[in-house]
Amino acid sequence: MHLHLIDYAIISLYFLFVIGIGFLLKKRVKTADDFLMSGRNIPLWITSLAFISANLGAQEVLGMAANGAKYGLYTAHFYWLGAVFAMVFLGLFMMPFYYGSKARSVPEYLKLRFDEKTRTFNALTFAAMTIFSSGISLYALAMLMQTILGWDFNLSIWIAAFIVLAYTFLGGLTSAVYNEVLQFFLIVLGIAPLVYIGMQQAGGLHGILANVEGAKLHLWKGMSNPADNPMGTDAFSMIFGLGFVLAFGYWCTDFLVVQRAMISHNLNDARRTPIIAALPKIFMPLIVIAPGIIILALQKQFSGFELPLNVNGQTDYNMVLPLLLSKLYPSGILGVGITALIASFMSGMAGNVTAFNTVFTFDIYQTHIKPNASEKHYLTVGKATTVVGVLLSILTAYVARGFNSIMDLLQLVFSFVNAPLFATFLLGMFWKKSTSNGAFWGLLSGTGTAALTYSLTMAEGKGGSIANLHTFYSGTSQAFNIAWISFSVCFIITTVISFFTEKKPENQLVGLVYSLTPRQQDKNRIWYKNPLYIAIIVLVITLLLNILLY
Amino acid sequence: MMNKFFDLRFVIGAFFLVVGILLLIYSFTNEEVMHAAVNRWSSITFIVFAIIMIILSFDKKPEDKL
Repeated sequence: MHLHLIDYAIISLYFLFVIGIGFLLKKRVKTADDFLMSGRNIPLWITSLAFISANLGAQEVLGMAANGAKYGLYTAHFYWLGAVFAMVFLGLFMMPFYYGSKARSVPEYLKLRFDEKTRTFNALTFAAMTIFSSGISLYALAMLMQTILGWDFNLSIWIAAFIVLAYTFLGGLTSAVYNEVLQFFLIVLGIAPLVYIGMQQAGGLHGILANVEGAKLHLWKGMSNPADNPMGTDAFSMIFGLGFVLAFGYWCTDFLVVQRAMISHNLNDARRTPIIAALPKIFMPLIVIAPGIIILALQKQFSGFELPLNVNGQTDYNMVLPLLLSKLYPSGILGVGITALIASFMSGMAGNVTAFNTVFTFDIYQTHIKPNASEKHYLTVGKATTVVGVLLSILTAYVARGFNSIMDLLQLVFSFVNAPLFATFLLGMFWKKSTSNGAFWGLLSGTGTAALTYSLTMAEGKGGSIANLHTFYSGTSQAFNIAWISFSVCFIITTVISFFTEKKPENQLVGLVYSLTPRQQDKNRIWYKNPLYIAIIVLVITLLLNILLY
Repeated sequence: MMNKFFDLRFVIGAFFLVVGILLLIYSFTNEEVMHAAVNRWSSITFIVFAIIMIILSFDKKPEDKL
């Protein structure tokens, strides 16, 4: 791919704007709360777009296009079965406890509801996960720059890391959130023309229907048997594993996304943030999955659209988007498309770094190392943690270079951490008898079970380090199954131990547990100000899409 | 004018306006008709979006400031 001056000008302009936003916000950051929590003062439209943009990083933009080519329309289940329902649940049922408890992070809620050891366990696993994820974004960005632009790997890593450090160090969480909004528009406006041009070249909808195998153009057909659908999964693991455990585990407990709603002006805005975000989320498959399906139709009709092989000799589906950009975009708009990809990688990294510095400062440093210090001290720690977070990400990026299966491993880490955590939250928020010891040991057992299940099963040549008791049709199917098993173990262990251990007095659980908290009736009759009305609209559209594309 | 840079809608609008204008100018230098059309229509979309964002930024609400 050969870039011209105009393309470089657009990329440079983007770098100038993101650092400029950091400089503009610098003078507003005076306390640790401003730096790490944006002073809980961000308007609704920004928190909503940041909520979905926090998930619009490297894995989503490149990965969903890759899955579109590999699994076809089945990939849309991540949106129309998983994300949307989970986002609505978060807004309607869980956000009142997150926001109402005044917790500054998800681990801090666990401390209020359970105890310090449960919080610390979650803070440590989450901190490790964010650094790992941030490093992967950086590694993927450098690989992309090296592969499609011929840029030096080391130079790409250090330039991207420096820019992310510059704007997160200057403006903190607000700067990261504002850049996420800019990135959202860049991705939508930068990739949408690609979908349009690709569709035209593929012969429109008729060309897609005629040239893509039927199994990849349905949502539910062939779900009764894993061998009959491209994802190789069955209805149970899809609905329970992805639709319930993985999706709810990610969207309802991952601090990276929940943080975007927690910095809203008030509780109503915090509740509406994920529900309003679900509206554009419904239509995101048009931008991120459609290119994967379009390339299948183009491969049948034209030469030059064949995907390259990776180091293992398998088709490298991650190259779907870069290949389409190079083949369909002329110079000029190509610069916008490349900038959109760079933005998604950098934003993914910044989101993880800002979540890491909040959790480290509040849940590890302030709790275990130096409690009761001044605001200025915690601001300094927050800024220092940002620098450390970026440096650790660089280190992780170099470590990732040595492992060609690191992306699969990352998906598994998510299912190890988020799936059991969702069981802990479900019981903690909706069952007043769940105890601190039950939560801690349940969480530990769930995470351990995830690791054990992975070590005893295999998919696409991965896993089975102890023995191979079962082989899954695909890595995705393996992740769905690990998720529901670890969730179930955490749920059962927490429940059983809770029956035999001491529970917290009910007066300490008001505002933290559903049955002990007064209901907040949203009496607002204006539909767009009432979370319930917006949720109904979102769910109806989602159900219609599931039926229409059956 | 400098104050407008503290409104995110204005910043986003300004970014896409500059990108749109650059693309529009560049589209007239494209020799291939198809390439010129892609850049021109994209640039027009960006400029329209930018103008909408800039107009919205004049709807002053204190909470929308950076």
